[in-house]
Amino acid sequence: MLPRFELYQPTTLPEALGMLSETGGNVRPFAGGTNLIPDLRGGREQARKFVSLAGLDDLRFTRFANGRVEIGSLTTVSDLHRSHEVLRNAPALHASATAFAGHMVRCTATIAGNICYGSPSADLLPPLLSLDANVTLASAAGLRILPLSRFNLGYKQTALKPGEMMTQISWPQPARGTVQLFYKLGLRKGDAISVISAAVSLTLKQMVCTHARIALGSVAATVVRAERAEALLLGRELTEKLIGEAAELAADASAPIDDLRASKEYRLHTARVLVRRLLRQAAEGPGEAGSTRRSTEG
Amino acid sequence: MVETVPTATNSPNVQLHQVGKPLIRTDAPNKAYGNTLYAGDLTMPGMLYAKVFRADRPSALIVKVDTARARALEGVRCVLTAWDLPDRLVVTDIPGQTGGKTKNTAQPILAKERVRFFNEPIALIAADSEEIAASARDLIEVEYAPFPGVFDRAEALTAGAPLVDGDANVVAAYKIRKGDTERGFEEADLVIENSFRTQVQEQAFLEPEAGLAWMDDKNVLNIKVSTQVVEHFRAIADALGIPHNRVHIEAMYVGGGFGGKEGLTIEMMLALLAYNTRKPVRLILTREESFVNHGNRHPFTLHYRSGVKKDGRITAMEVRLIADSGAYSKLSPYVLLYATVGAPGPYKVDNLKVDSVVAATNNLSTCAFRGFGTMQACVAYEGQMDEIAKSLGLTPLEVRQKNFIHTGDRNATGQKIESAVWSEQCAIQALEALGERAKGNDVVKIGRGLACYQQSYGRIRWFKDSSEAWVGIEVDGTVIVRCAVTDIGAGQSSSLAQIAAEVLGVPMEKVVTYFGDCTLNPLAGTSSASRALYMTGNATKMAATKVRDNLLEWAGRHFQVPPDDLQLVEFRVTAISDPARSMPIDELARRCAADGVHRHHLAMFKAPTSEGLDPETGQGEVFPDFTYGAHACEVAVDTETGEVTVLKSVGAHDVGQSLNPQSVAGQIEGSALMGQGFALCEEIIQRNGVLVTPSFSEYLIPTSEDVPETKAIILESRSGLGPFGSKGMGEPAFAPVAASIANAVADAIGVRIFELPITSEKVINALARKASGQVKMH
Ligand SMILES: Cc1cc2nc3c(=O)[nH]c(=O)nc-3n(C[C@H](O)[C@H](O)[C@H](O)COP(=O)(O)OP(=O)(O)OC[C@H]3O[C@@H](n4cnc5c(N)ncnc54)[C@H](O)[C@@H]3O)c2cc1C
Repeated sequence: MLPRFELYQPTTLPEALGMLSETGGNVRPFAGGTNLIPDLRGGREQARKFVSLAGLDDLRFTRFANGRVEIGSLTTVSDLHRSHEVLRNAPALHASATAFAGHMVRCTATIAGNICYGSPSADLLPPLLSLDANVTLASAAGLRILPLSRFNLGYKQTALKPGEMMTQISWPQPARGTVQLFYKLGLRKGDAISVISAAVSLTLKQMVCTHARIALGSVAATVVRAERAEALLLGRELTEKLIGEAAELAADASAPIDDLRASKEYRLHTARVLVRRLLRQAAEGPGEAGSTRRSTEG
Repeated sequence: MVETVPTATNSPNVQLHQVGKPLIRTDAPNKAYGNTLYAGDLTMPGMLYAKVFRADRPSALIVKVDTARARALEGVRCVLTAWDLPDRLVVTDIPGQTGGKTKNTAQPILAKERVRFFNEPIALIAADSEEIAASARDLIEVEYAPFPGVFDRAEALTAGAPLVDGDANVVAAYKIRKGDTERGFEEADLVIENSFRTQVQEQAFLEPEAGLAWMDDKNVLNIKVSTQVVEHFRAIADALGIPHNRVHIEAMYVGGGFGGKEGLTIEMMLALLAYNTRKPVRLILTREESFVNHGNRHPFTLHYRSGVKKDGRITAMEVRLIADSGAYSKLSPYVLLYATVGAPGPYKVDNLKVDSVVAATNNLSTCAFRGFGTMQACVAYEGQMDEIAKSLGLTPLEVRQKNFIHTGDRNATGQKIESAVWSEQCAIQALEALGERAKGNDVVKIGRGLACYQQSYGRIRWFKDSSEAWVGIEVDGTVIVRCAVTDIGAGQSSSLAQIAAEVLGVPMEKVVTYFGDCTLNPLAGTSSASRALYMTGNATKMAATKVRDNLLEWAGRHFQVPPDDLQLVEFRVTAISDPARSMPIDELARRCAADGVHRHHLAMFKAPTSEGLDPETGQGEVFPDFTYGAHACEVAVDTETGEVTVLKSVGAHDVGQSLNPQSVAGQIEGSALMGQGFALCEEIIQRNGVLVTPSFSEYLIPTSEDVPETKAIILESRSGLGPFGSKGMGEPAFAPVAASIANAVADAIGVRIFELPITSEKVINALARKASGQVKMH
C-alpha cells in the first residue's frame, strides 16, 4: 500500500530550492516517481516529504550549441528517445533511451532521476559516463558542477547533499568521427532491468585510437569505467588482438555479484562479449548510429 | 492474423449463419470503452475494508497469535483468527462439483497450530478504511517456534523427511501399465533417455483477486467476486454453518483466471468478515498478495526413456514423473492424473509404463493452471521426439508422422479416440506458415521448433459433469440466456449469445446472456478444464433448440407446412417451400405468447461418464475427448550472449468448429505469448520456501515488446463433442508453445536445455558444455 506522504509543488526553481533546504534536508526531490512510487509502495523508501519537480518546465530541455551538449534534469527518457539531435549527437545515449523500460515508463522517467537513484543498472549512466558528462547540482546556497564519475559513490549513494538537486547534465561534443555505442542485456525485451550493459565512445584516426571510454553497467556497486582497457587502446591500432585484450581488461574492471537475474560468471563472460562486440563495431566505422538490441520505434 | 480453413465436416448440410463468424463479442465494446465494472470497482455505503495477515516464514509452529493491539485500534471492526472459527472450516477439493470432498484436501482457512507455507493466512481484519486495516495488520504479533520444512520434491519423498501433513508426503500417485515395455525395449534399435524439469509459473492474470460481500435483508450472504467458479457457495455455507440457499455468489466479468481463480480465491475471507460484522466488506489483493494467494503451476521432474526402431516408430516408453504440490494438495491429484494420462502425447505407444507421484512440500501451493499437468508433459515428450529425430537423422515432422495417434486408436489408458485427430495437418500447416527461414550468421543462429499435443477438454469422466442453461424469447423477439457460467475474459457469455442467436435466427445484438450468478441462473459448472463452451454451449443449444421447436410447431400449424420446412434466419420465420409464408420473429413470439406456447426452456447437458481407472494398470476412460494441433516457431539465438528472440510463432489447431474465429485467434495469440514466457523468462523462485520473486519486478512475463510475429491457423473437423462439433480451445492452444520454443532453441544451437525457463545464461552454459564435449552424442 502506498503510504501517506507530503508533496510540495513549487513552480519555480528558487521556490523548489527553498523548499528543499527549509526543512533541514528531510525533503527529497520527486521527479517522474518511477523509482520512488514502487519504493514507497514496497516499503524501501522511508522519506515522507517530497518536492515535486513536475512544475519546473524550464528544466526540461536538450541544447546542442557551441560544442557543448546540455540536458535539463527533467528531460524524460522518451524526450531523449524522440530527439533527432540526441540520435545524431549522442547515439549511445539514444540507444540506451530506446532500450529503457517500456513506453509508459519512458514517458515519465527523467534523466536526473535515473542518475540520482544511484543504481548500477541505470541504463543512461554508461553512455553518459562514456561521454565524460558533468552534472550541475543546485541548492539555495548556489551551484556546483561535478564530473559524473565523482557523483555515484556507491550502491544508491551519491554526492548529493541535503537540500541539493540536479539541474542539468552536460558534456563537450565529442570529436568528429567518434563512435558511440551501447548494448543492454536483459531477461526480456521490454521493461527489463539490465543484467549487464556496456557503452563505448571511441575516436579513431586511421584506425588508431585517439580517445577511448568504456563504461559497464550492472557489474559492480556503481556503473564503472574500464580505465585500464581505455588506457590500453589509447594510441594503438584497433586490431582484433587489441580488442580481445581490451575486452579482458574490461572484464577485470568489473566485480559483479550473483543475483536473481544472473550469476557472476555469466556477467564476467558477457562483459567480455559486449566490450569486444562494441569495439569491433567501432572498428567497422560509425555506420549506423548507436547500437541497441531493439530497433527504434515511435 | 487469422486464417480459417473450413474442411471436411461430419454434417456437411449445416448452414451456419452466425456461428463461425467473427462477430463483435457482446462484452467487447464496454470493456474497450472502460465501462465494464470489475469486482474491485464495487463499493457500498458503510463498506469496510479488509486485509489479510500472513505468516512471514514457510514452516513453523504457532505458539501464540496476539491480536489485542490490532483489535484495540480505533476503526477496526473485526479481527478473526483460526481460534474464532469453528473447526469444520475446510474447503472442497473439486471446485464446482456437487458436493465432492475428500478428507486429504482439507485446508484450514486460517493457520492454527502450524504454518505450512510462506505467507499462509493467519488473521483477517476488517476496518473503516484500508489504511486502518493495514495499520491493524502491522499490530498483530505472532510467536513462532521452529518446525522443520521440506522444500525439494524428491527429498520430500525420502524416508525421514519432515512431514508436511499427516503421515506421508505422497499426495497422490498413479501408474499406467500397458502392453509389454520390456519386450518393446528389446525390439528397439535405439533407446533414448532424458530428464526434463519445468518450473513454477504464475498465472499473472490482469485482475488480482477482488470482491465485495454483504448480508442482505433476507439474511442472505451476497458475494460479488472475481472467480472462475460460483459453485463455491456450498463450501462457504458449510464453513459458516448456514444453509446453502443463503449464500449468493455473483461472478463479475473476470480479468483473467487461467486456473488461478478456480479454487477459492477470497470468497471465504469476505464471507467470514461480512458474516461477523454484518457490514459490507471489500477486499482487493495487491499483486504481491495475489502471487501467494492462489496455487501456481506445478513444477515437474519428467524422466523419459523411449525405445524406437530405425524408422522412428516408438516401441516402448517408460516415464517417471514427480510433481510438487506445495503445502496443501488442492487439485494436485488431478493435475498429476492429467500429466500421467498425457505422458505419451498425441502418439500411439502400445508398450507404456508410467509412474507418477506428487509430493507435499512447504513450498507455495500449486493448483490449476492452463495446461494442467499435460503441458508440462508436452515439454518432455516433444523434447524426446526431437532427440529421437536427431539421433535417427529424421526430420521432426517425419518422426512424429510415424507415431501419431489416429481416430479409432486407443490412448494411454486404453480409451478409444472417437473424434478427428488432425495432428499431422496442423503440424504441416504450422510449419509451412513459418515461411522463408530467417538468415543467421556466425554469432546468431536460427532454429525452428515444432510441437504437437493431445489435450483433453471437459472434466474427468467420474466427476459426472453436467451443465444447465435456460433460454427464453420475449414477445419483442429478444432472447435471454440464463446460465451461471463465469465469463473469465474468453468470451464465454458472448459465445452463448451467439449460439442462441444461431438457433433462434435473431441477430446477436438481440440476445442478452445473464451469467455468473449462482442463485438466479441455472448452475453451469466451472470455467475451467476447457469445458465452458463444450458444456454450457451444449446446454444453451439444447435449450434454444427446444424453444425453436415450440415456435416452429406453432408456425407450422399457422402456415400449414411441416415444421422442418421452416427456417429461422435474419429475424424471420419462413417456409422454405413457399417463402411468401413468412413473418418476423417478434410477431411469431407475440402470437405464440397469446396462444400459450412455451417460449422458454431449461436444459441440462450431461458429459459422458465412467467409474474410474484400474489402479494397477491405469486403464479406463478418463476424459470426454481431446483436442489436437501443433505450434511451430522460429527463434534467433545469440550464441555469445545467449539471448533468445522468438521471431515467428504459429499455432494451428483443429478446434472442431470455431464459434467465433476472433476469440479462437485470441486464445492462440495469447497462448503464444504465455507459452513464450514459460519457455524463456517466467519462474517463481523460492529459497527454502521463501518467495524471492514476489512481484513483477522479479517475476518477468513477456511484454508488448517481446511479441513475435504471431499467426493463428484454425482447422475445423466439426468432430468435437461441443456445440456444432466444436472442441475445447482454452488450454489446447497453450499446450505445445513452450515445447516448440525449447525445440527451436535446441535446433538453433545443437544442444538441448532440459530445464525451463531457457534463460540466456543457461544457453551460454549449454554451449560451453557442448564445446567441452560434455554433451552425450548419439
Ligand atoms: C516498470 C519499470 C521499468 C523500469 N525500467 C528501467 C530501465 O529499463 N532502465 C533503467 O535505467 N531504469 C528503469 N526503471 C527505473 C526508473 O524508471 C529510472 O531510474 C528513472 O530514470 C527514474 O527517474 P524518475 O524521474 O522516475 O525518478 P524518481 O522516482 O522521481 O526519483 C528517483 C530518485 O532520484 C531522485 N531525484 C529525482 N530527480 C532528481 C533531481 N533532479 N535532483 C536530485 N535528485 C533527484 C529522487 O529523490 C529519488 O531518490 C524502471 C522503472 C519501472 C517502474
